[in-house]
This record gives sequence, structure tokens and C-alpha cells, in this order.
Amino acid sequence: MEIKPNPPTPWKLFGVFASITTITLGGGYVIVPIIGNHLEKRHWMGEEEYYDIFARAQVYPGPMALSTSMLVGIRLCGFWGAVAAICGVILPPLLVIILVSQLLTTYGSLPVIKRFLEGAGSVVPGIVAAMVWKNGKRLVKDSVGRSRLIRLIELAVLTMLLVLFPSYSLPILLVGIATLYLLEGLWKPSK
Amino acid sequence: METIEVVWTFFKIGIISFGGGWSIVGIIKNAVVPLWIDETDFRSLIAVAQSTPGPIALNTATMVGWYHGGFITAILATLSVVAFPILMITLTTILANRVVLNQRNLNAALRTGSLAMMLMTLWVLRPASADPLLLFFAIATFYIGAFTKINSLWAIIGASFINALLGPTIRSLWHG
Repeated sequence: MEIKPNPPTPWKLFGVFASITTITLGGGYVIVPIIGNHLEKRHWMGEEEYYDIFARAQVYPGPMALSTSMLVGIRLCGFWGAVAAICGVILPPLLVIILVSQLLTTYGSLPVIKRFLEGAGSVVPGIVAAMVWKNGKRLVKDSVGRSRLIRLIELAVLTMLLVLFPSYSLPILLVGIATLYLLEGLWKPSK
Repeated sequence: METIEVVWTFFKIGIISFGGGWSIVGIIKNAVVPLWIDETDFRSLIAVAQSTPGPIALNTATMVGWYHGGFITAILATLSVVAFPILMITLTTILANRVVLNQRNLNAALRTGSLAMMLMTLWVLRPASADPLLLFFAIATFYIGAFTKINSLWAIIGASFINALLGPTIRSLWHG
């Protein structure tokens, strides 16, 4: 379907981003398709262009929801679009978190709230393990033969470095990702 | 002066916050535990950060800032963690086509990199207590997250309520 260009004002853009961030729970993979649906429904941006932008957004650090909506904002309304996107993604969670933290500081010492938080904290290793499982499966499935072996070795080396030298995560990751990028370029043409 | 340290720490975290959410949590943990918050509080805090709206890295920054310094520190920590990403997007938009990176290779590199960060997160957040009920929650959550389509949010909510309301009863049955 051809979408007619129908640019929103930065205020409208802010309203849409803010309302999506306020009511959506879960990480970037949940929120990204929802933003896409809203943009298409309002005839602001077609699905194809949106997913192009999303692909570009993934190479930036920071939350995916932030980079995606910022690029969408720039594309639709330029500078003020970017400002609208940043405010829309950051402000609602900030207010909610401050409210929740205030409640926790007030009632956090009650035994029942303590147990509530202890229960919440206990699932964290499970969530991370599930994420590792899913992403690891994808990494193994998407690479074949030599590339699979090389990627697993790269993964093992980088993980070991991060675990062994926790105070140097920043240099390890910057050098590590640059090295991985160059290695991808090296062996891909000769497969 | 501690506020400046919080700002600087979260700015540095922002530089390497690749891979959507959970990959960065281990790095945040190494930076703030036990300096500004203790281990148990950090675990509950990220579970709460996951069950409230907004990206987890951002929410964690807000909460750590709040617990450490209050309102202003919470806002500053949040802005610090997104400062570098926003700067990068602005710069590359201005420079447009002058920076040419092979997106396919970069995506592959980032995917391996963020998986390594996730594994590290898993290592630093491995179950801390030998309490059978809490271990059961962790294992059940892994099962739900890895093999079902159920949102892991339900695991957080379920474990919180079961532990808050039935925890003492279940434990007393277990012990005899």
C-alpha cells in the first residue's frame, strides 16, 4: 500500500511516542513493532521505510526504542522531531520510576514488600538465561560451517575477557567490537 | 562530587550499551554494586525496572540515581546514560554519507558482542541464594522465557506475589 506523506507536528509526534512508552511493558523488541503500527495507521510512515530505519537504529548504542524513535523523529520533523522523540521515550518512564522508587523507599522495609522484591529479584537469572538461550540459538542457526566456529570462538574469547576484567568493560568492548567488525570483513568474501 | 561520579559512570555505560536491554545490565552491575547499592537491592531493582514502562538500561539508571542521591541525581543519571547514543545519532545524521560502514558486518559484530555481554550479565547475576523456592522461580522463568511465548513479565509478577504471600508457608512445609 502506498502511504501518502502526511507529516505530523513535533507535538503530535511527542504525544504518540509518550503514550506508547507509557503503556508498553517489555523491552525494545516489544515496543518497536508497536511504534511501526502507529506510524502506519496515522499515515506518517510506511512499514518498509520504518523497518529500514529500525535496521539502521540497531547499530547505535542505547535503548532500541530510543534510537529508532529518534531516527523516525528526524526523518519526519527534523530537529524538533528528534527532540520530541527523545522526550517522549525518556520522560514517562522517568516519572513512573521516580514514583515507584518513592513508594519502595516508603514501604520497602515491610516484610511482605521485602518478600515481594526478593521474589521479583529471584527471576532475574532466569530472564537473562532465556535471553542468552534465544540469542545464542539465533547466532548458531544463522551462521554455517567455518563462520559458525569462528563466531563461537569470538564469543567465548570476548565473554572470558568481560568476565575476567570487569573494570575494563569499556575498552574491551570498544576494541572487541571493532575487531569483530574487521574480522567479519576478512573472512566473509573467502567463504 | 559523588553526583559527578554517577554521571560519568552512566555516560561511560551509555557508550557501550549495545544489544537492547539485558546485555548492558551486567556492566551496570559491575559499575554500581557494591559501591552505590548492594547486591540484593540491585536484583530487585532491575526486576522492578523490567516490570515498569521504559527501556531497562534507562530505568536502572534512574533507580540507581534515585537510591544514591535523590531526584536530581536520578534525572542526571538517566540523561547521562542516553547522552552518548543521542550524540552518535545526531553526529551521523549531520555527517550523513561521509561515514561509510558495512552495515551487515557491523550488525554481525554487534550481535556477537551483545551476546558476549549477555553471557557476562548471566555470570554476574547467577543465582545468589541457595533457597529452593527462589531457585525454582529462576528455573521456571528460564523455561517460560526460552520455550514458551509467555511474556517474562508474568514470571516476575508471579514470583513476587507467590513469595510475598505464600513464601513463609511454602518454606515451612519444605522444612518439615
